[in-house]
Amino acid sequence: MNVPSILIVEDDGWLAEQYARVLKSADYKTATVPHAQAAIQAIDEVNPNAIILDVLLTGSTAFALLHELQSYGDTGAIPIILCTNLADELSIEDLKSYGVKRILDKTKMIPDDLVVALRSVL
Amino acid sequence: MGAVVGENEQLLDGLLIDGLPSLVAAAHELKSPLALIRQLSLTLEDGDLSSTTEQKRMLRQISLTSERALRLTSDLTRSVRLSDALFTLEPINPQQLCEDIVHELEPFFNAHGRDFRLASRKHPLLLVANRDLLRRIIMNFSDNALHYAEGDNAVEIQIGSRNSGNTIRMGVRDHGPSLSKNVLGVLRDRLNNAPAAVHARPQSSGLGLYIASQFAEAMNGKIGVIRHRDGSTFYIDLQASRQLSLL
Repeated sequence: MNVPSILIVEDDGWLAEQYARVLKSADYKTATVPHAQAAIQAIDEVNPNAIILDVLLTGSTAFALLHELQSYGDTGAIPIILCTNLADELSIEDLKSYGVKRILDKTKMIPDDLVVALRSVL
Repeated sequence: MGAVVGENEQLLDGLLIDGLPSLVAAAHELKSPLALIRQLSLTLEDGDLSSTTEQKRMLRQISLTSERALRLTSDLTRSVRLSDALFTLEPINPQQLCEDIVHELEPFFNAHGRDFRLASRKHPLLLVANRDLLRRIIMNFSDNALHYAEGDNAVEIQIGSRNSGNTIRMGVRDHGPSLSKNVLGVLRDRLNNAPAAVHARPQSSGLGLYIASQFAEAMNGKIGVIRHRDGSTFYIDLQASRQLSLL
């Protein structure tokens, strides 16, 4: 059985580590990058089944990455889960066309919400 | 896409009310450390960590993140009261001040797997500043660098004299993805005016840098940023003290 591979794009190192810990315990394979530019570079290598994406990143925001991913057929199909402090301000309807399947609020989520969200999109 | 970015920028508007940081801005800045503390605490509560070492590491992360949030709270309070207070400007040895800062922040950097150091200087310098405000500015730059830096290079505090010794520059150099030309322009503009959606630091509204610029102005100083190919240096320029030359 293939283990799903998840790319975590999060510039807070300790939070990224926390996500990876939760996902590994649910038998996902994870790779972590701190910003959008590194995410673009990592996608070919990691070939992720889904991406967990913070919104306010160092340098470009998540929206630049979403735009880039949508420019290619293969990357445009990767489901995105936004994990952000700005969840109250974002609408899943507005972001659906950019591959965003779920929006998790960092200030309200519990660790297992990541696993639940991934299971619902994979 | 434009609409989405527009909404995002709009959300970070209104950071200031009558030139002071708004509650919205403060709340936004505090969300990140609090959200991290919550996630780590929930994991500890669940008891999923079998290793005592890992538990201790997580508790350390919680305490260091709390300290960071408290520093921010303290800076915000100080910023709001800036206009009401009198500040003593005194001759300060920047080397000594920075040694204290390195000593204080080193555990935070080490916990992130990063080195933090002060570039050594042969000749002593003396500048005119308020010790508390200057300390807060360098702490802010250092915190910014910690979250921005990549790779194995240390974050370094550098001190030097300029303008024939009339100005002392204290900078914090990081190695990370270079600021884009556009971001740099916006940042410079914001540093000279008011904060907005300038993400010099992850999850940041630019408020920390704005507060630093306010503190600098209160000491007749100026902050700025130098863009390098492999990172950036945030700095403050302050007037040199003439006391040293009189000795």
